[in-house]
Amino acid sequence: METSLFNAAIQGFLNLLHLKVLLAMMIGVSIGTFTAVAPQGLGMPLVYAILLPVVIKWEPITGIALLIGASSVSAICAAYLPILFGIPGGSGSQATVLDGYPMGKRGEGRRALGASFMAGGLGCLIGTLTLAAAIPAAKPLIYLMGSPELFVVMLWGLSMVAVLAGKRPVKGIIAAAFGLLLATVGQQAQSGIMRFVFDQPYLLDGISISIIALALFGVPSALDLALTKLGVEQQPVPLKGSLFDGVKDTLREWWLVVRCSFVGVWVGIVPGLGSQVVDWLAYGHAVQTCKGGKENFGHGDVRGVIAPESANDAKDGGDLVTTLLLGFPQGVVTALFIVALLAWGYLPGPEMVKKNPEVIYSVVWLQGISGIIGTLIGFGLAAQLAKLAEVRYTFMVPIMFIFILMGAFSVNRDPIDLLVVVAFGVLGYFMRRFAYPRPAMILGLVLGDLMEKYLYRSVASYGFSWLARPAVILLLLLASVSFALTLRGRIRARHRATSSSFSGVMARSEDES
Amino acid sequence: MRKKTTHGGAFFLAVILCLPMGRAWAQVPYFQNKTIKIIRGGAPGGTGDLQARALIPSLRKHIPGNPTIIVENMPGAAGRKAANYIYSTAKPDGLSIGAVGAGLVAGQILELAGSQYDIDKLIYLGSTESGDPYVFVSRKEAGFDSLDKLRAATGLRIGAQAVGHPIYVAGRMFAFLLGLREPKMVLGYSGPELDIALVKGEVDLRANGADTVLQRNRDLLEKGFYQFHASITIPKGRYTQGVPKAPELDSFAKTDKERQLINLFRTFLYPRWPYLAPPGTPKEIVAILRGAMTKALKDPEFQKNFKKLMATDATPLTGEELESAIRELPRDPEIVALYKKMADHGPLPPR
Repeated sequence: METSLFNAAIQGFLNLLHLKVLLAMMIGVSIGTFTAVAPQGLGMPLVYAILLPVVIKWEPITGIALLIGASSVSAICAAYLPILFGIPGGSGSQATVLDGYPMGKRGEGRRALGASFMAGGLGCLIGTLTLAAAIPAAKPLIYLMGSPELFVVMLWGLSMVAVLAGKRPVKGIIAAAFGLLLATVGQQAQSGIMRFVFDQPYLLDGISISIIALALFGVPSALDLALTKLGVEQQPVPLKGSLFDGVKDTLREWWLVVRCSFVGVWVGIVPGLGSQVVDWLAYGHAVQTCKGGKENFGHGDVRGVIAPESANDAKDGGDLVTTLLLGFPQGVVTALFIVALLAWGYLPGPEMVKKNPEVIYSVVWLQGISGIIGTLIGFGLAAQLAKLAEVRYTFMVPIMFIFILMGAFSVNRDPIDLLVVVAFGVLGYFMRRFAYPRPAMILGLVLGDLMEKYLYRSVASYGFSWLARPAVILLLLLASVSFALTLRGRIRARHRATSSSFSGVMARSEDES
Repeated sequence: MRKKTTHGGAFFLAVILCLPMGRAWAQVPYFQNKTIKIIRGGAPGGTGDLQARALIPSLRKHIPGNPTIIVENMPGAAGRKAANYIYSTAKPDGLSIGAVGAGLVAGQILELAGSQYDIDKLIYLGSTESGDPYVFVSRKEAGFDSLDKLRAATGLRIGAQAVGHPIYVAGRMFAFLLGLREPKMVLGYSGPELDIALVKGEVDLRANGADTVLQRNRDLLEKGFYQFHASITIPKGRYTQGVPKAPELDSFAKTDKERQLINLFRTFLYPRWPYLAPPGTPKEIVAILRGAMTKALKDPEFQKNFKKLMATDATPLTGEELESAIRELPRDPEIVALYKKMADHGPLPPR
């Protein structure tokens, strides 16, 4: 078995050594990079939907090269928006704004970009290696957790509010509770009951998390520039740090990269978690485990950029584990990829592992090589992108509002979204002004829906006996210990803190200006 | 530059030649140099989206004037938002075509929230698919190898996506007509999550599209993982090749009312991906679009693209067939009320 997989890995690589395959991969990488740099306008699902009818007429490996080339790099270059403009990127890199933007404003935009590209590239490689390693035994990974275990993991994630609310626990809880409340808007799947819909078709499916995140962080950042009348890097601080400093930071924090990449791979593998939680779980993990994290995160700590970016890019590898080895799509993009594979005559899942392992290895190689090329392109573009931060506010503010509005409109192509982004933008401005932690609200919103779903399914399937499952007990214990340690750390930090050095990560939103 | 001058000259010549020939103007195809927008009631990449993309090259070929055709995705309320747009906002000029899912018909008949259109006033152009069979399955290892064993068990857990989802309605109809005792619906899954939940034993039973079983779970099917209990074929009698032929649910119906209930389900899912034009669209334009749609759906290029993207053969309906299916839709309030109970939350009604 091992020898045949080794042969398949070699054959998978040899499949790529054709000019048209390499060319298709490069075209894919260019499309993916353009999609990442464009202000949320296009999105990979739309790109796949447009490309699919064309590529299924090609030879399989050439078509796969184009598709994987595009999707594998689509997240790597996306960090420039949160770092330079304070506008959250697409789902999966929203948490980058928490430390990336303060770094940008401190004159360290280049360093943050360097760290994000390097972390993204390494995350992509770790995700790819995990995919390669998972080929012989993928099933146990996917069947590891049921709804009860996933509920406890989400609960654990929500306990991050305690960390992130810093010295304003009450405001943190209020913000998180508001996020949880917003997550209930729309038709409840389990009962069909309309919650807070008010007979408005717009609200039937709830409000998009992407739009709310864009509004809560993007609009206050733009208003901030307009009010201070300075460019992002025109603060009275000297420009410092280079791309290479960011690379060095990432390499120094290699263990954080590895840990967060595995968080990303795990989120990718578990069906139903979705990309919206990956960055927040990785960020929360970093805050809880990094030395001095509770004091420094949210103030422009480079580790707050490294953690979400590595996790977000590693997630694609996890997605492909489930997609290729079990035939379960993890989202629209992987569903379309499965469609393409079916059109070429492959049946993703165990049959493909048995009959076409060399094609799976070709995907692995393409994912890895495209990730490296995407990272290099990111470095190449970074210098140009970073110049945007020096642009005068009179130009920058309109550009930011255009990005925000285009980003919001691109989610559903619904004009009402433009009103919603403005309304939540105003809310974000006042939350920031009155020190209500906005990320706590996003966390509540992101996790609320998942928690409700997993809790409902656990009780419906097992009654309350799910609480007695060994894995649930173990996870609850781990979550409790982690929560207790976090609280203890906070109390100690409060004692140690000088008048200005301490504040929680989330509550630092007011410091961003 | 040279090319530009040549084009300019040709255009000038064409204008001069055409000026005295008023009748020739009338023969310029209406759709020439125009753009048709297909308003897709779903996110990019869904089944309906892929089918639209398989259709577009052939549709363009068969519409006189070969207009540009683009897809504009308008997700929301299971396609009802796009249907509302076509019904009340889009201009009836043939340049906006709605492409929604089976929820269009059920939305109005069941008076679902956000259904602000009248299915009797919309104009139907055709459908790329006409439904596929639903099957009711359990894990073979669970030991329910006969209907008696299934009926003897109490509180079996049936997995589904959400209240009102076709898989949910089908699951409840199977449970109702097979006579299961106090079945429990476990909801909130996506399709693939539900597959895993069945394998893990988190749910005991599920309804599923037979085509989906073939596409997504062929290995489990080949290993004999599934126990097939019953099926609802759409249209009646059309099974999916490669999936065991389980007994039709109709054979378990005790009354005519129950048979009509199954037929209503069939009718809702028969026009699987209907294409619509706004009410008030001129007859000539409707005739052009319907004609082009009929030809496009028969076009071997479409059939080939469809098979490649969907891994199954297209089962299209023409505009006329679709219109007739909508006209003949059973609307008996008693049957609709029973269907609503199937589609709603709460215990199943007594038989």
